[in-house]
Amino acid sequence: MVLETQNLTKQFNGKGGFKEVTLSVEKGQVFGFLGPNGAGKSTFVKTMVGLLHPTSGFAWILGKPIGTVESREKVGFLPENFRYHDWMTGKELLSFHAELYKIKNPGKKIDELLELVKLKGHESKLIKNYSKGMQQRIGIVIALLNDPEIVFLDEPTSALDPVGRIEVREIIKQLKSQGKTVFLNSHLLSEVEMVCDEVAIINHGRIIAEGKLEELLKEHTHVEMIVSDYTSELIEEISRLSKEFQFKEGKLSFKVEDKEKIPIIAKMIIEAGAKLYQLNTQTSSLEDLFINLIGKDEVS
Amino acid sequence: MITIIKYTFKEMLKKRAFLLVSILSLLYLSIYAFGLSRIFEHPSNSIYDIIFQSQILSAGLFFANFIVAFLVLLTSVNAISGEIESGTIYSILSKPIKRYELVLGKFIGLGAMIVIYSSIMFLSVVGLNIFMGSKITFEASNILRGLFFFDLGPIVFLALIIASSSIFSTVNTGIISIMAYGIALVGGVLEQIGAAMQQSQVGAFGLKSGESLINAGILTSLILPTDVIYRKMTAELLTQSSGISFMTQGPFGGMSQPSIYMFIYIFFYVVFLLYYGAKRFSQRDL
Ligand SMILES: Nc1ncnc2c1ncn2[C@@H]1O[C@H](COP(=O)(O)OP(=O)(O)OP(=O)(O)O)[C@@H](O)[C@H]1O
Ligand SMILES: [Mg+2]
Repeated sequence: MVLETQNLTKQFNGKGGFKEVTLSVEKGQVFGFLGPNGAGKSTFVKTMVGLLHPTSGFAWILGKPIGTVESREKVGFLPENFRYHDWMTGKELLSFHAELYKIKNPGKKIDELLELVKLKGHESKLIKNYSKGMQQRIGIVIALLNDPEIVFLDEPTSALDPVGRIEVREIIKQLKSQGKTVFLNSHLLSEVEMVCDEVAIINHGRIIAEGKLEELLKEHTHVEMIVSDYTSELIEEISRLSKEFQFKEGKLSFKVEDKEKIPIIAKMIIEAGAKLYQLNTQTSSLEDLFINLIGKDEVS
Repeated sequence: MITIIKYTFKEMLKKRAFLLVSILSLLYLSIYAFGLSRIFEHPSNSIYDIIFQSQILSAGLFFANFIVAFLVLLTSVNAISGEIESGTIYSILSKPIKRYELVLGKFIGLGAMIVIYSSIMFLSVVGLNIFMGSKITFEASNILRGLFFFDLGPIVFLALIIASSSIFSTVNTGIISIMAYGIALVGGVLEQIGAAMQQSQVGAFGLKSGESLINAGILTSLILPTDVIYRKMTAELLTQSSGISFMTQGPFGGMSQPSIYMFIYIFFYVVFLLYYGAKRFSQRDL
């Protein structure tokens, strides 16, 4: 495991933060950490990189307990409220951070990364004169300077234009292809849906769902059918295979956990001699899932 | 840590405060040089002349010391707190470095710059006096010892500021530092008056209240010993070389000599402040 936490809690005088989070992230994964504003995402990431001291619980990065210097050795971090020393030029800033990592001859790496985030040609400008988006781009360079095994990106596209967002998505995919692990804080669900393998949803500081993105979404394939000439046994049987089953005057509406159940159910209907007029399926998007889960959590 | 030291030094040279104080210092030195040239225009050999000249030197050093303290405050008050308040700290401390490295690195980087600056001020003032034909005889060893204590004061002040900046906000650090410096200054004056009262022996009453003033002075020196160090500096520079008594240095000189215990205290004062500042900083949530 690249990252592992056990009942990790960080609260501020008994309030806010996050509570009893137990997570593990495998190597090579793009892990999406989702949640509404104030849910505790940034607090979690800041705790991971040693900026905040946990209230209780344990956590390891690459096997090293968090808060130690060793745990931060192969880590990259783009903070949510990124700010860099504005009296330096881009080049100076990157040399400074490379030196903090004790990287020898960082010149080539810096050039490579500047190219990657499309900042080439701006490196001799003062950071003061960078736009917000350019600062976030250089923040991404800083997060990747040391060839980290795991990168924590806290809303890495918050200041980026649409093209920039696509570029960041490409960078994340590239990192994944190099076997790196990416921990992505975001509320841009469509973005997360496109790049993440696994997600956790946090609300009011607690994890309310976690798992492989596909599996979480699969649970929520919604099916609607219109049938006639059915028997009550048939309807009974379908209801047993599905969730949230509703039936009214030939109209069926239900959810299945596995898409493969859809053709099975269709076959059952035909073989039972009933007529199938209409079959609509709709895989719920991450957005539906998110709204659904948060909604449920708020009720309880 | 070397990286922090290096970039702290670099940052300082680029700060506007540094430019401002440099201009201020140049202005001050020019005015002082002008004043000296007028004063030394008509040399005479009376004993009053030497007394007067040593007072001129003391005054020159006093204000130079004041300007250095001003620079220390301006450049260091936000050394750590500024990084937190601006958010630049996130990308630094998420790196594989220990928090005390930042505190110590800032202290050493700023300290190096301050020693250079403070030495220039000291040597300029003393140099101007020699150049203009002061009758005080300086030996190299006295100048060196004087220089050491002239630089030590700002470094001790820096330690207080860095420690405070690691624990409190920039604004609060500013308040704490100015208060401490002011108290040390007033306390130093009280101690001088106390010593003068004791020396002049204005009856038993004078002796007693003189003593209580000295005690008050010592107490304030414990809060921030910059004034004690300053007095040590004037003593090292003037007394032993020319045989001029403390009396001749006027209000800017030193009456009472700090004891050796004071210097042991000063050493632990700096070490403790840096240790405590770094420790509290390490425990902070950022
Ligand atoms: N330093 C702090 N002191 C006190 N409370 C804090 C502190 N930092 C965060 N909190 C509280 O902890 C909770 C989680 O905040 P956090 O910044 O982690 O949320 P987030 O999920 O990142 O939200 P966003 O999507 O807005 O970035 C909030 O209720 C916030 O008020
Ligand atoms: Mg956040």
